[in-house]
Formats: sequence, structure tokens, C-alpha cells
Amino acid sequence: MSAPAAQTPSSGPMSRSLAAVGGPLLMIGGELRDIFRMLFLTLYYLFRKPVRWRAVVEQGYEIGNRSLVFVTLVLGFLGMILIYQSAYQAQQIVGDLQLLGALFLQLLFREFAPTITALMIATRVGTGIAAEVGSMVVTEQVDALRMNNADPIQYLVVPRFVAGLVMTVVLSVFAVVVCFLAGMFVADRLFDVSPTTFFNTTLLTWGDLIAFLMKAFAYGIAVPVISAHAGLSAFGGSEGVGAATTKAVVNCSLAVVFLDFLLSGFAFVFLF
Amino acid sequence: MTSVLANIGRRWLSLSEGVGQMTLLTLTTWWKFWTTAPDRIEFMRSLYKVGVQSFPIVVVTALLTGAIMVIQSGQLVAQYEAYGLLGWGAGYATLREVGPILIGLMFSGRVGANNTAELGTMRITEQIDALRALAIDPIPYLLVPRFFAIVSMMFLLTLVGNLMALVGGTITSQFLLQVDWRLFVWSLREYLHLSDLFNGLIKSVFFGIAIATVSNHFGYHTSGGAVGVGRAVNSSVVFSAVSIFVLDFVIGYFLP
Repeated sequence: MSAPAAQTPSSGPMSRSLAAVGGPLLMIGGELRDIFRMLFLTLYYLFRKPVRWRAVVEQGYEIGNRSLVFVTLVLGFLGMILIYQSAYQAQQIVGDLQLLGALFLQLLFREFAPTITALMIATRVGTGIAAEVGSMVVTEQVDALRMNNADPIQYLVVPRFVAGLVMTVVLSVFAVVVCFLAGMFVADRLFDVSPTTFFNTTLLTWGDLIAFLMKAFAYGIAVPVISAHAGLSAFGGSEGVGAATTKAVVNCSLAVVFLDFLLSGFAFVFLF
Repeated sequence: MTSVLANIGRRWLSLSEGVGQMTLLTLTTWWKFWTTAPDRIEFMRSLYKVGVQSFPIVVVTALLTGAIMVIQSGQLVAQYEAYGLLGWGAGYATLREVGPILIGLMFSGRVGANNTAELGTMRITEQIDALRALAIDPIPYLLVPRFFAIVSMMFLLTLVGNLMALVGGTITSQFLLQVDWRLFVWSLREYLHLSDLFNGLIKSVFFGIAIATVSNHFGYHTSGGAVGVGRAVNSSVVFSAVSIFVLDFVIGYFLP
């Protein structure tokens, strides 16, 4: 993607500023096209060609089980601080903490559990996938795959895609549980809200659950594909692997935040 | 049985070694900051790379964050028809919690990962040894500028990000919730205090210190070729994320 300014003979301030806007836009467009192309190829191979289920299980272990401690730590602390802050405020303004647990559960399902989990998966798993695939690219293992007539997307991306999708949903459910229990602990110890009062599902609707599942599925599709794309587009030596991992975590996090915005807006208009 | 014990011991030892290395590196970085003159060109380059080049991603994240917080609090506000509280609800959550955390995570992904990858590549390709062979101490030359660029730029970008988040929230409340933007701004000015902003900014400084320490450590102590660089970046962002959430809890607990 060469900058358009290089082709014009007169590079005045006008064309320079246009090039400054258009260059990044073209780059983003090309990147998005590549990512969607990879997504469609992945879906094609998933449904048309045999899937390596053994690799799926291995990747599921790598993505799911080995992220458990990380997700527990992060979501536990998040649940504690969210309840601490909101209970502190509610005590001063309303003075009534009856609905604290119900509102917290609703907010967890709608927003925090799937999104923060997906950001953590983007951080841990996204960089992991990009580093692994990127190292395979720069050590020419992917070329060796191609030489043996094994498509890297079918061989490498499809198992990670399936495992990532399943594990994102599973970890999101797990995140709700961890975060809620951590919040319950803080509410019980510091604000004298008993767990029976705190555990209140009356505000939870089907719309919340649908929004939760939509988000988890969307993130589960986006993160493995984007990070595998970053890994496969690595070039050069160790510098290329580093660049690919950085690109994976940045693109995945941006995609998660953007999808969160889209799906929250959608859910707000149609579901709640 | 012995293998389990050996496994625990090995993990414990490697953890202790990592913590010790990180502490020593941080202390040396601080010490060198006071005792040696920094390399001006390298300092400027770090500030540019860390600050200016992360500007777009922080602005986009912050705009979306503000919008998301307005959408999430909008439903509650609509239930009780307390539209005057929308700005307070979204602004309070954004300035104190969600803004610094999301900007911190983005920053750790963009800058921390980049920093680790760069230092790791230098280590793997023996550029750091080459510096030493030229009698240039790598810590003041490479690590000190990066450390202070990351901390200061995290602070400044959080300021910018907070502003952009409020702008994003205002736009969303006008167009999605049909709450007049004047009411939103009034609510922000009426109910938010300066302490809310400062609370988030204090967090951002600590997040910056954590990201700088962790990414410098994992980059500087990389080993094992191209695979090692990938692994170093992975550990760097994971540890940054954990320390962001732990610090968020600790600061939120002691500075409510």
C-alpha cells in the first residue's frame, strides 16, 4: 500500500494532509479485508474439510485450562473493586444496598464478564497464538506445511478457531461466577450484605443472557482469527515475531472494544 | 510425589528469580536516572514512539469506552427517568475505573508489547552486548528513557483519553438515548468532582510504572531466539494485565 503522495508531482500541504488521512485508511481497509478473507476461509475449511479434533483438544487445553488462573485473578480483583466502589457510593447516596447484587449480576452479564474476559483472552491467548504461528512462519515451518500440500489455514487456524470459540464462551461463564463470588465476598465482609440478599436474579432477563452470549460468541470468533492473521503475516526474524505479537494484541483489543460498542448499542435498541 | 515437589520448587525458584531480577532492574533504572545524564536523542525517540504513535489508538478506545458506559448506564437511567444523572453515572465510572483500566490495557498492548519485542530483539541479536562492547551502559541508554517515556505518556494519554471518553459519551447520549447534550454536560459539571479525575490519574501513573517495569524486565531478559521473543511479549502483556487489575483494586481500596 504505497502512499498516494508519492505518485503526485506536487506534494503541497493539501495533498500531504489528504495522504496522511488516506494512507492509514487504506491500510486499515486492506487489513480488514485480509482478516475477513481468513475468516471465510476458516469457515469453509471447518465445514468442508475434516477437522483435526486432536489438535482442537490440545488447543482447548492451552487456551482454556491454562488461562484459568489468569482469568480468576483478574476477574476476582475486578469484582471486588466494582462492588467496593459502587457500594461505597450507594451507601452515601441511597443508603440502601438491597439491589446491589441484582444490579451487579445484570451488569456482569451485559458488560464486564464477556468483555474483560475477551480482553484477557486477547492478551494471553492472542499473543500466544501470534507468537507460536509467527515463529512457525519465520522458521519456515509454514512453508514446509505448504510444500506438503497442507493448507496452513486448515492445519493451524481451524483448530485454534474452534477451541478459541468454545473456550471464550466457557471462560465468560466462569468469569461471571468468579466475579460474582468475589463481589459477594466484599459485600458480605465490608458492607454487611448477606449472600442470600446479594444473590438476587430478579433483574436478569432473557435479553441480558442473549446479549451475553452474542458478545461471547463474537469475541470468540474475532480473537483467534485476528491473532492467527497477525501470526501468519509475520516476516523477518525475531523482530517479525515481536511485531506480529504486538499487532495481535492491539488488533484483538481494538476489535473487542469495537464489537462491544456495536453489540451494546444493538442490545440497547432491540433487547432491553 | 517427588516430581510434584520438584515441580513446585522449580516454579517457586523461577518466580523468585524473576521477581528478584525485576526488582534489581527497576532499582538500577531509578538509580541511573538520577546519576547519569540521559541520552537526549533516545529520550525524544522514546517519547515520540510511546506517546505520539499511541495517540490514535487511545483516542479510538476512549471514544468507544465513553459510548459503552453511557449505553450501559442509560438503561438504568431510563428505568427511573433520572436523565440528569446520566452524565454522573457514565462520567464517574469512566473517570475512576473503566477509563484508566481500558486505556491501560490498550497501552500495555500497544506500548508494553512493542517495548518488550524491541528490547527482546536487541537482546537476541546481541545488540545489547554490542552496546556494552562499545562501553555504553545499556540501562541508562535504553531502559531509562523508555521507563520515563511510558510513565509520563500513560499519564498524559489518560488525560486525553478521559476527555475523549466524555466526548464519546456526550455524542452517544444525544444520538442513541435522545438525552440532550446540554443536560449531559450539565450533569457532568454538577456532580463530578476534581477528585474523580485525580483518582483516575493517580491510577494511571501506577499503571504506567507497572507496564514500564514489566515490559522492560521481560524484554531485557529475553532468551531463546525468535520463539523467545514471542514468549517474552506474551508474558509481558499477561503480567501487565494482572498488575493493572491488582493495582486498581489496591488503589481503589485505599483511595475511595
